[in-house]
Amino acid sequence: MQSTLSRRRFLERSAQLALATSAAGSFLAACGSSTTSTTGSTKTTITFWHAYNETDTENSTLLTKVIPAFNKQYPNITVRSQDIPYQSLLQKLIASVAGGNGPDLVRTDIIWMPQLAKIGALVSTDDIVAQRKSEFYAGPLATCAYKGNYYGLPLDTNTRVVYYNKTLFSQAGVSQPPATTADFKTVASKISALGKNIFGYAEGGLDPWDTLPWIWSFGGAVTDANYTKATGYINGPQSVAALEFLVDLYKNRDLSPSILGSGNLSTDDALGKNQVGMILDGPWVPPTLQQGYPNLQYGMALMPAGPSGQSASVVGGEDITIMAASKNIDAAKAFMQFMTSEQAQVLMGITGQMPVLKSLAGDSRLPSYFSIYDQQLQTAYPRPVTPNYTKIETILTDAFNRALRSEASAQAALDSAAQQIDPLLQG
Amino acid sequence: MEVPPLDVTHSSVSVGHQKMTTRRRSRTFRRLLPIYLFILPGMALFLLWTLYPMLDALVMSFFQWNPNPAATSPFNGIANYTQALSDPIFWQAFGNVLYYTVVTVIGQMVLGLAVALLLNRKLFALGFFRALYYLPVVTSWVVVSVVFAFLFSAPSGPVDWFLGDVLHLIPDTQLWLGSTTLALPTLMILGIWKGVGWNMVIFLAGLQSIPAELYEAARVDGANSWTLFRFITLPLLRPVITFVTVILTMGGFGTFIPMFILTQGGPLHTTETLLTYAYTNAFQTFDFGYAAAITYIFAIFVILLAIVQIRVMQRKVEY
Repeated sequence: MQSTLSRRRFLERSAQLALATSAAGSFLAACGSSTTSTTGSTKTTITFWHAYNETDTENSTLLTKVIPAFNKQYPNITVRSQDIPYQSLLQKLIASVAGGNGPDLVRTDIIWMPQLAKIGALVSTDDIVAQRKSEFYAGPLATCAYKGNYYGLPLDTNTRVVYYNKTLFSQAGVSQPPATTADFKTVASKISALGKNIFGYAEGGLDPWDTLPWIWSFGGAVTDANYTKATGYINGPQSVAALEFLVDLYKNRDLSPSILGSGNLSTDDALGKNQVGMILDGPWVPPTLQQGYPNLQYGMALMPAGPSGQSASVVGGEDITIMAASKNIDAAKAFMQFMTSEQAQVLMGITGQMPVLKSLAGDSRLPSYFSIYDQQLQTAYPRPVTPNYTKIETILTDAFNRALRSEASAQAALDSAAQQIDPLLQG
Repeated sequence: MEVPPLDVTHSSVSVGHQKMTTRRRSRTFRRLLPIYLFILPGMALFLLWTLYPMLDALVMSFFQWNPNPAATSPFNGIANYTQALSDPIFWQAFGNVLYYTVVTVIGQMVLGLAVALLLNRKLFALGFFRALYYLPVVTSWVVVSVVFAFLFSAPSGPVDWFLGDVLHLIPDTQLWLGSTTLALPTLMILGIWKGVGWNMVIFLAGLQSIPAELYEAARVDGANSWTLFRFITLPLLRPVITFVTVILTMGGFGTFIPMFILTQGGPLHTTETLLTYAYTNAFQTFDFGYAAAITYIFAIFVILLAIVQIRVMQRKVEY
């Protein structure tokens, strides 16, 4: 028996409850923000909601370095930072929108943008984008656009690459991280052979975030480039091959069964505890591993290339947005501008938050491991950009689940997913 | 209401019927006034925090509700209700809740009554055992959920290790909370374990209100333990059983926290309850109107069920 309760998972779960039991809490918290004039010498307080990690340096950097630096420029604006666990952020946010009061600014996951813009919850940032458009990378900036207008600024970007445990690799006699999906399978099974509860590859679940890197590396896709049709893409031969690849890994026990939601350990913890050979994860992981497993020997590699020779991954990241109910839009815009300035982007960059400014490419103040992420981002794709994304996410997760559980063939599961997604892409 | 001054000196025989009634009414009113005043704060809170949101949700359920108060929401008629009736996940959630409720209500009552019978006699460290069984009831749902997640994690969680590596009763591939067939039963074990203590307390109270003479008289007539239980204990516990069944059924249908924390309704909606599904629809996909309709269908069903249960079980027993 090796399993221990991960502290992070415990915090996540407690946080979910905190939400479940005190839905009213968000309203009450929101009511507290004072609303004085932004002009002149009067003090203004703005509230900023985000999900920066509290277990490593993200949140502490925001509080002790970034906000104080902002206050040097704007001594009259007080920033009330509220750290909300990622899993409950959207729920709390929508509850505060419905209540007509909430935070002034939010660090929103890029996949929520169309959904929030559609209901009119966000303030347009067309004025800022018109001046600063060329400063941002095009990909992250595009996540702020909805029907021809901008509703925020890109704040950080990321993707997923392979992290591998060097100790397990050497025990299994593997010297190189896998370069192709075929290699990946071979390496995974060599590592799984090391012990009953050691797995070659572990994945946190079957969300699109978890699975789409494989779909794209195999040359598949979710929809066409304009997000109008899923049939022929998510159930096309390459997408089906990717899903079959995962099913095979799972059936050979080279992929940890924790992918089906039975586990109790996050994948980076499993890597740190030498229980897993390879995981896919984002640029926030090295600081976390440094803190939790300072002696861990690990390496990083690009996603293995699929049969067509392409290594592909998924684009993640966050935007900073102003809520339409904010009464301090000028002060909020000042903070938004500051958070996307070089100074703040470098400070947060050191904690693993990749900058979105072209001017910071290869900047020596940033962690050197960003280079592999920069490289992977060249062939990383966004999840479908549509207000119905959260519904599509459930459909895809269910389809992958059915295939891994042998309740349907990969082809049948994806055919039915395509059929359900198509109507959600209309209008 | 106009309250006439109370005239105690007036003792004429000509006091009319009308006046008497008024006086009596005013006296009643004065007597009851403090009671109403005591109820008022609670009632005000109930109206504000319970009744108002309930009516608000009812209105919401007829709209394609936009959570943004600045936006307009189109009227939707009964479309949200018809959508629910043709939604396979809604019916799956309904079935799950029914399954969960039947198993956990029976499980809790049988075990709760058994423990109550054991602890309804002179026993060493009686208070300790009663407290022990009651402990899960007062423990937070989150805490016990997290503990269960740890116990039932797979591979290599304690339960998995014991049943698999030690007893070799289950295959290595057992998934517990990740399994479409075992996730809900695992949550049922949690629900039963957590509820036994509450049932025990209620049944103990019921058992202690049964007069001891009945047992003595029956024993004189030669009845054995089973007969005593079958023909005295069980019939006289009927009102308690009715009460417990109704309360537990409502609780079972409203179960939310363990699913929300441990499985989020998954895998493949096999632990989806009506409330987790409503929650996802409201806060994840922003279909507030649809979520409100789901909760209303749920509420109507539970109310009807409670009425039926009370009608069926409320037969009086007298000895």
